[in-house]
Amino acid sequence: MGNILTFEHVNAGYGRVQILHDLSFSVEEGEVYGVIGPNGCGKTTMFNALIGLIIPSSGKITFNGHDITKVKPAQRCQMGIGRTYQVPRPFEGMSVFENVLVAAVHGANHSEHDARKVALDALKLTELYEKREIPAGELTLLDRKRLEIARALGTEPKLLLLDEVAAGLTEAEVQDVMKMVANLKAAGYSIIWIEHVIQTMVESTDHLMCMAQGHELLIGDPRPVMESKVVEEVYLGVEEEDEE
Amino acid sequence: MENKTLASVRKPIKVLDGKVMLIVCIIIVAFLYAANIFGIFSSNTMRYLMKIFLYITMGEMWNLLSGFTGMTSLGNQTFIGLAGFTVAVATSTYNLPIWLGILIGLAIGVVVAFLLSFVLFRMRGMYFAIATWVIAEAICTAFKSWPYVNMGGGMSIKAKPYPKTPEIYLMALTLFVVAMIVVYLLLRTKTGLGLTAMRDDADAASSVGVNIFKSKLLVYVIAAGFTAIAGAIFFINKGTIYPDSGFNIDWTVSMVFIVIVGGIGTVSGPVVGAIVYVLLDEFLAHFPGWSNIILGAIAILVILFLPDGIMGTLQKKLHFEIFSQKRFSEHKKDIGKKAQLQ
Ligand SMILES: Nc1ncnc2c1ncn2[C@@H]1O[C@H](COP(=O)(O)OP(=O)(O)O)[C@@H](O)[C@H]1O
Ligand SMILES: [Mg+2]
Repeated sequence: MGNILTFEHVNAGYGRVQILHDLSFSVEEGEVYGVIGPNGCGKTTMFNALIGLIIPSSGKITFNGHDITKVKPAQRCQMGIGRTYQVPRPFEGMSVFENVLVAAVHGANHSEHDARKVALDALKLTELYEKREIPAGELTLLDRKRLEIARALGTEPKLLLLDEVAAGLTEAEVQDVMKMVANLKAAGYSIIWIEHVIQTMVESTDHLMCMAQGHELLIGDPRPVMESKVVEEVYLGVEEEDEE
Repeated sequence: MENKTLASVRKPIKVLDGKVMLIVCIIIVAFLYAANIFGIFSSNTMRYLMKIFLYITMGEMWNLLSGFTGMTSLGNQTFIGLAGFTVAVATSTYNLPIWLGILIGLAIGVVVAFLLSFVLFRMRGMYFAIATWVIAEAICTAFKSWPYVNMGGGMSIKAKPYPKTPEIYLMALTLFVVAMIVVYLLLRTKTGLGLTAMRDDADAASSVGVNIFKSKLLVYVIAAGFTAIAGAIFFINKGTIYPDSGFNIDWTVSMVFIVIVGGIGTVSGPVVGAIVYVLLDEFLAHFPGWSNIILGAIAILVILFLPDGIMGTLQKKLHFEIFSQKRFSEHKKDIGKKAQLQ
């Protein structure tokens, strides 16, 4: 199968601070593409560039055959990119249901009537159905993370971006997330999954990219990448620093 | 937090927008028209009501911007001043009929809003608010040195025959009714659904497909248009306009008061807020110099003790919403059926 996404020599950042340095990688259609890397290396920033919240100063991003480097976020979403935020950003004044309904109406371009069903399906899949009428601002962290996924699914994406959805969860909850990702993959979604929980990544991904300082350090099959010396060094090096 | 999430068993919200509510509204509006036609109201009553209608319209528009879309503007007086002056110039300089003056005022308001959007929408939050204010002040200053509008010397609106109080009342009433319908319908559209999302988090909204620029533009142009007509009618009632009265920040202060006291982000809030404001304003006219201080004190008390405003607090306490923009996962009819089964 072809590539659903490619980054070619992308440089991007916030204002004058450059975070992504000559970043290149590509994601095949239908795969789960894992992204690891130490805190602050630019994983979330890569998502921001991918959905259009920041525009690269140079380089090219291609999605599904289209050059989207300068396309507006709303349009990218309608083209099929659905994203979750690492720190959940629910629409707090709206109910859980309305949060997902907005996504299905605007992202998937359904009429409100049809969107209703799409939204309810996404809520069932993420186990939020029972809480659908609660204001999103009142959800617990775990439920907020679920809502992030439900909202992304509501936009009916081709490519789903998961940003540390398992971080901070218990072992059992992580297992649930892994199962859900496997189900989504089986359902035909292409997925980019940023995560720290190393074991999860080896088991659940088809390819793995380790980033360091805004650049791809190593890309390949999950196990060899995880076991490589360079990855261990950059990861452990930073983690030791973190502990100080 | 945990306790709150148990709220799936909370009392459901009753939305009052069914047939009964619609009939009540139609009766009120019909009465307001009939009272005018049959001359039931004294001119004083009509003047109060006219003021209330205009302030409701301005409040609804400010609420649409700030309460529903997250665009807190301090510069809606731009459109009031522009439309007021347009009517003055149209009628006194060009001898045009007054209705044409109002229409041109509306057109100018809409076009100016459209042009400003390209500058303003690059800014968010506080920056947007201050920019709108600065623009209003800049236009005010420009008018003071523009011979075309008689510099700072003011202009009077000339029309023969000059509309009388009952006619101005009818204009204000009609504007208010149309404004309420437009706000209600807008909030029911797809764009309306996206507005609240945008208000809560514009970036997140854009990443679920909400077209931020288009939605903002639509809301801003609508708000500008209605605020402009309200301003035009206000100054037709007054007869004269000065840059300092047309482009005064006091307009925005009243709108903020009306929306905060009535209930920000509710459709019914500005109606209640405007009634409170006009009554207070008339009463406080007996205490010149104190009125702004007292209005300010009331606003602060409301913010401290009723942060959701009068209607917001009532709706929360009593679990109802009038003409709510809320979407529910089940159709109202289904809920009704369930209730019957139980
Ligand atoms: N909105 C922002 N403005 C400026 N700098 C930012 C912003 N968000 C993140 N950064 C910086 O960009 C770098 C990369 O952050 P991020 O992409 O979140 O890393 P990761 O997701 O890999 O932990 C960090 O140094 C962070 O401080
Ligand atoms: Mg991150």
